[in-house]
Amino acid sequence: MLKTLGTILKDNWEWRGRIANLSLFELRKKSRGAVLSWAWFFIKPALYIFCFWFALEIGLRAGESTDGPPYILWLCAGLIPWFFMSDMINQGCDVLHRYSYLVNKVKFPISGISGIFTGATMIVQVFLQLALLVIYFACGQQLDIYLLQVPILLLLMFVFWDMFSIMLSQLSAISKDVANLMKAFGTPIFWLSGVIFNVNNIPIPWLHTLLQFNPVTFFVVAFRSAFYDKAWFWEDQGALLGFAVVFVLTLVVMLLVYKKFNEEVADVL
Amino acid sequence: MSSNEEAKAPALSDAKDLHKTSSTGETAIKFDHVTKTYNLYKNDRGRFLGIFNYKRKGVFLGSVNANDDLSFEIKKGEAVAFLGHNGAGKSTALKMITGVAHPTSGKIEVNGRVSALLELQAGFDMQLTGRENIGLRGQILGLSKQEIAEIEPEIIEFAELGLYIDQPMRSYSSGMKARLGFAFAVAIDPEILVVDEALSVGDKAFQRKCIDRIREIMMDENVTVLFVTHSSSTAQQFCSRGIVLDEGKKVFDGSIEDATVFYEENYA
Repeated sequence: MLKTLGTILKDNWEWRGRIANLSLFELRKKSRGAVLSWAWFFIKPALYIFCFWFALEIGLRAGESTDGPPYILWLCAGLIPWFFMSDMINQGCDVLHRYSYLVNKVKFPISGISGIFTGATMIVQVFLQLALLVIYFACGQQLDIYLLQVPILLLLMFVFWDMFSIMLSQLSAISKDVANLMKAFGTPIFWLSGVIFNVNNIPIPWLHTLLQFNPVTFFVVAFRSAFYDKAWFWEDQGALLGFAVVFVLTLVVMLLVYKKFNEEVADVL
Repeated sequence: MSSNEEAKAPALSDAKDLHKTSSTGETAIKFDHVTKTYNLYKNDRGRFLGIFNYKRKGVFLGSVNANDDLSFEIKKGEAVAFLGHNGAGKSTALKMITGVAHPTSGKIEVNGRVSALLELQAGFDMQLTGRENIGLRGQILGLSKQEIAEIEPEIIEFAELGLYIDQPMRSYSSGMKARLGFAFAVAIDPEILVVDEALSVGDKAFQRKCIDRIREIMMDENVTVLFVTHSSSTAQQFCSRGIVLDEGKKVFDGSIEDATVFYEENYA
């Protein structure tokens, strides 16, 4: 198993230049055919944020009771990382169909294909995080040491969801069920993971424990602790432990899947 | 070799003779008891269950050995033709040489940069322009920015695309796509050139140009050429050695003349 891990790391390291270039090509491809090309990467998130802000703060008056920074900052700090995770869940688990020519027409490492998509999604995410920083300052917040968590969290998010994509995309190449399953789960995960509510306010203890094993919850809470709550994400040890378990589990399953299928996927695509 | 100097100059039609004599002792491609098995299932559900070694009768239809205990060695600089009818396992062997597919058992050794003229239109992105696709493919193959800039004008000229090079590829005709694919494959100075029935591209004039270009590549004595075809005459035009495949097995390996005779007698 360590050997498989070595292969994956080696492939990704040796092909890093090509993976990065192809990530840029992916974005160029996505922006093609529209006059507003690049702007679309930001228009959709902005609309989302506006809708949720309108529904929650104006409509449901959710943000009224809180003191401290404005509610919109709390909302954005959770929604923006969610945009990345949403893309990874919906499309990242099926990258081999998306790039089938890299699988069965040219020689390209299977694990690197996930890297292309994760990289492209991450580039957009970095710009959204910069936008979040602008909102942060616009809300009258000061530059402080807690913001240093952001690059760490982005890196962690990249690694975790890249592994997630390597794990599922190979299964998804063999059976469409995986992609359909993840598409079906996309919206429920959004509503259940605390992207738009505070998981710490849930009064049911076992549910609270269960959510500690949800990586989406982990990242959303972690980004909020950096931007809003002003805490270190590792201070909540239950959440950290839960995420560590999920991380290791994903790693192990990914290695098992990769070992069994990486030579077979070219035959079935 | 003193004859080498004067051989550079003459007509391209000498390429084959020149090539034949120039193979060195180094191995370019080696197949060592290679078997490639495809498991066939009735449907995708069966295939999914097959992952868990669940092979119920009626769902699992059986296995096919596309290549069956195939062994051969090709030296650097050789020009070899693979002959065989449909389903003989030629394309499977080529896929494994290009590194796209992996053998079920056995070992494959490939030394050198492979450029494959397999399915010329595959791998182009229809949303991007021809020029961008050249860049994209170049990057996939690991060429530097400078190398891509060098081969780009060559490719554009060879493909005869004119103004269309900056149009999205979805607006190309099938002939234009194939010409661009061919132009790219022959532009990157391959060490191992794999040609899979690719010469039926475009009109007569373009075909002649393609054949000339392949000959030109073969003038370089270090280039190994693998040629897959059903037609004995094209094989004889380019190659000095022939390997005949049948049902994944090697049934003949020898000089091209003998190989074509063997092929015509048994399979034509």
